[in-house]
Amino acid sequence: MNSFEINVSRLAQHDPVLAAAFRQSGGGVLEIVPARTGMTSARANGRWIHSAYDPIKEAQAWAEGQTHQEGETIVVFGVGLLYHVEALCARLPQTVTVVLVVPDLRVLADAATVRTWGDWIDRVSWAWGTTETICERIASAGHPLRLVTYAPAASLHTDSHHVIETAMQRKVAAQAGGQLRIAVVGPIYGGSLPITRYVVSALESLGHDVRWLDHSVHATSYQQLELLKNSQHRLALQSKYAEMLSRVTMAQLAEDPPDLVLSLAQAPLILPALEHLRRKKFLTAIWFVENYRHLTYWQQLAAGYDFWFVIQQEPCIAALKRAGAKDVRYLPMAADPSLHRPLELTKEEREEYGSDVSFVGAGYANRREIFPRLVGQDWRFKLWGNEWDGATDLTSVLQRNGARVDTDTCLKVFNASAVNLNLHSWAGTGLDPDGDFVNPRTFELAACGAFQLADRRSLMPDLFAENEVATLSSPEALPAEITRWLHEPAQRVAMAAQARQRVLAEHTYEHRMRDLLSRIGVASSDRIGSILRGDRQAEALASAATDSFPSLAETLRMFPPTQRVELKQLAAQIRSRGPMGTLSREDLMLLMLDEYRTETKDLV
Amino acid sequence: MQHDEGAMERRLLIQLARLGDLVQSLPAFASLTARDPHGPLDLLCPAPLADIARLFPDVGRVVKWNGAQWHRWAESFVGEFQSSWLHEVEQYLNGLTTEPYKMAYVLNHHPRAILAGTLLATEVQGPNLRGPLHEELSPWASYLRQVAQERGSNRIHLSDTFCGLCGVTPPPVPPVLIPSSVDLPGDLAEVGISAGQWIAVVVGAGDADRSIPQSVWIEWISTVLAQDSPCAVVLIGSERDQTTALAIQDGLSSIIAGRLWDATGRTTLPQLATILKRCHWAVGADTGPLHLAAAVGTSAMGFYLSRARVHETGPYGQGHWVWQADRALSETWPIQASVKIIREPATAAQQEPVEGWSLWQSHHDEWGAIFRPVGERDPQEDQRAAVWHQLTEQHLSLQGM
Repeated sequence: MNSFEINVSRLAQHDPVLAAAFRQSGGGVLEIVPARTGMTSARANGRWIHSAYDPIKEAQAWAEGQTHQEGETIVVFGVGLLYHVEALCARLPQTVTVVLVVPDLRVLADAATVRTWGDWIDRVSWAWGTTETICERIASAGHPLRLVTYAPAASLHTDSHHVIETAMQRKVAAQAGGQLRIAVVGPIYGGSLPITRYVVSALESLGHDVRWLDHSVHATSYQQLELLKNSQHRLALQSKYAEMLSRVTMAQLAEDPPDLVLSLAQAPLILPALEHLRRKKFLTAIWFVENYRHLTYWQQLAAGYDFWFVIQQEPCIAALKRAGAKDVRYLPMAADPSLHRPLELTKEEREEYGSDVSFVGAGYANRREIFPRLVGQDWRFKLWGNEWDGATDLTSVLQRNGARVDTDTCLKVFNASAVNLNLHSWAGTGLDPDGDFVNPRTFELAACGAFQLADRRSLMPDLFAENEVATLSSPEALPAEITRWLHEPAQRVAMAAQARQRVLAEHTYEHRMRDLLSRIGVASSDRIGSILRGDRQAEALASAATDSFPSLAETLRMFPPTQRVELKQLAAQIRSRGPMGTLSREDLMLLMLDEYRTETKDLV
Repeated sequence: MQHDEGAMERRLLIQLARLGDLVQSLPAFASLTARDPHGPLDLLCPAPLADIARLFPDVGRVVKWNGAQWHRWAESFVGEFQSSWLHEVEQYLNGLTTEPYKMAYVLNHHPRAILAGTLLATEVQGPNLRGPLHEELSPWASYLRQVAQERGSNRIHLSDTFCGLCGVTPPPVPPVLIPSSVDLPGDLAEVGISAGQWIAVVVGAGDADRSIPQSVWIEWISTVLAQDSPCAVVLIGSERDQTTALAIQDGLSSIIAGRLWDATGRTTLPQLATILKRCHWAVGADTGPLHLAAAVGTSAMGFYLSRARVHETGPYGQGHWVWQADRALSETWPIQASVKIIREPATAAQQEPVEGWSLWQSHHDEWGAIFRPVGERDPQEDQRAAVWHQLTEQHLSLQGM
């Protein structure tokens, strides 16, 4: 019997359906090539899947680099010739379950032909079939999960893995019941400030314990620096100011260490501070709600955060990784339906804020170039917002002399306009040829149930369908498009309603925060993941402690079952027994650990 | 010295503070050993100080307290608490002692030391009367707290209050540490070999506000080396004192070359003990090395600034000297006067007063160490006997005896 037959027979003992399926698959994806050491290696699409020199040594080195915690199930992405799986099995205790994700059985068939698998193969569970089936098989293998990727082999199925991972994240998000302590670090001012507010609100709605480190209170001082005429002085002092605020943030974090530090773009945390946070085992993430092409300070911070969430896909993600970011995910903008919602406007308000066509926003170059063609038409056009100085051809339509509009006004305009223009900002003329991300206004308009005509964005189709948001392909077509939509009021209403439903179903900040936390939860299974799963709630901890530490279990049962309990709370509970309280050995150990805990977060 | 753990009632002395505190625990250790010469007495101390603890006469087992490991555990447990991790802690504690000690004597009024005692022994004698959560202090701990808050007229040395905490009286003779035979690195092997007076100068200080300015050291060393009789100086300190030591050497005249050795940052604790033993004098403001010097039998002279107080923490034993500053940062320094005592100890009684400083010399009697002013009577009455009687009575009454 050849290796293939031996392996199939062995596999059939555990999973006959899989054995039959991969016998049928035929193989032929991998090009089998001898390695320099005489072992067999493989290539696919011209790239090496295993080392051309010593695939076993390479696999062992990879396995050495993987971490594992007691009770976890290891999920491996990347099949190849299974050298890495064998090395991983050899390194992990026998009790650890290893699940191998097999998006394409042909690769497994190739692997089966080159060598006879050893006993280690009996430890492997196979997740194969459709995405749903794979997810179910992974889920049934047990929790908590730790995902590990053998990149050279996984690169053959990047898309499948991404889909599987996303589906798993959703599963984690759906099951999440634990309460995280999250410190949200906001900016001093700017566009990400309101987003910070929405994020805080969303996280609170999800039941987490959120602390907003609000640096907007320092805005007045910071803006004073912008008045300095000497640019050298201005930049030096702004840098010092940001450094000082970074220290303030550290001091605030030290006072009450959170599970996760979540920054929004422009948060004043500099790289040395982030590095210090990492040394002190803080988990950090940033939602970079900026166009990475325009604001490039991410290059200095990329390596500092554990997790990056960005509103653009490639090449943004690759650029961040090149700059040192370890984990970068796409997380589009959203709306807050408690604020962005249909409004009942009075007649006076409709008169003041309403129009056939409106735009709310700042006077970027592309808008200055496009909007004049909307003046003098047979519809009523109102332009709201600031930074329109010098745009004399728009004076007749500019509202409030170009004063900055607040959120309340903005929402009234959205609700009162027949056609809301949503032209993404760009420093050039016409439409942004690289326009990819979808701005917050898109989601906010949709959440308001307001009809919008947006410029074409490459990432729009994933977020809104054509029957939800109308799009514009060129500036020249804008007048005709406006005319068309003004003549179709019923369709406008229908599209706006569908867009609102889409936001409510998929694009709220709660959705985004759920996705963000589940991503971090999957990637950080033992920390954030365990909290989200509720593993660190009193009841779960008590169950786990019952056999080995009965006294601890008893203490834990004094908390409400779903309360998150950590060392600090346990020690406080023990101390609350009063001076004559009886202390078990476990109580004493916890009190001792708590004594040392009070000195662990010396950040400042 | 190894003991058969099962054969006798095992006792443990716990001292988890710094070098000076460990050395100052020696009298209590000696008295406890003397009271029960056949019962083994182990010593729990911070792991980095274990080599000094091993020099304690008749010490049983030196149990190393790994504070860094506790820090790591605590750091891991923050935000990630899992009960299963306590197994590792349990294993560590079992490694310290498989069976609980019969008695732990705790010398630190710090929750860690009190918890350590409660974890490792069935009975604890120390600052807390009734366990880690009870704030009622033992009579000696109350006395210590009062002294710390009010200073007042206390004349009982910290080492002797440690004895009181353990329920023993001070030893009749100041106990000594016998440094083990260790090799000294490089040129330091020459320390103490040639004739003349060897003086260890402790250049640093435990706290910045107690340190002696470099300029003062330069003048002090120049003065001591300018004398006719042969003399050599060894600079003592940790790695962080090396810059200061270099600056001092830079400031000294080249004519003193060959009579000055720099040991800062170059010695282990046993090597430091050996160097101090080979010197005739140890001088400085850092009380840790001064206590070590006194314990190995070397004459110590301290410049006590800021919170350092002669009566509580002067070098323990006979014939040590302390210059006590009246204020935190002195403007004048007793350079000539202090050098004169070292070179001509017999003239000490004729010392002219130095503004801002008072000079004290140590003595030893049945109540332990006592520092008396030089050339005059102590304005404070010696109340040690009365305090000992009163606190002992309180202690016995609390025990229902």
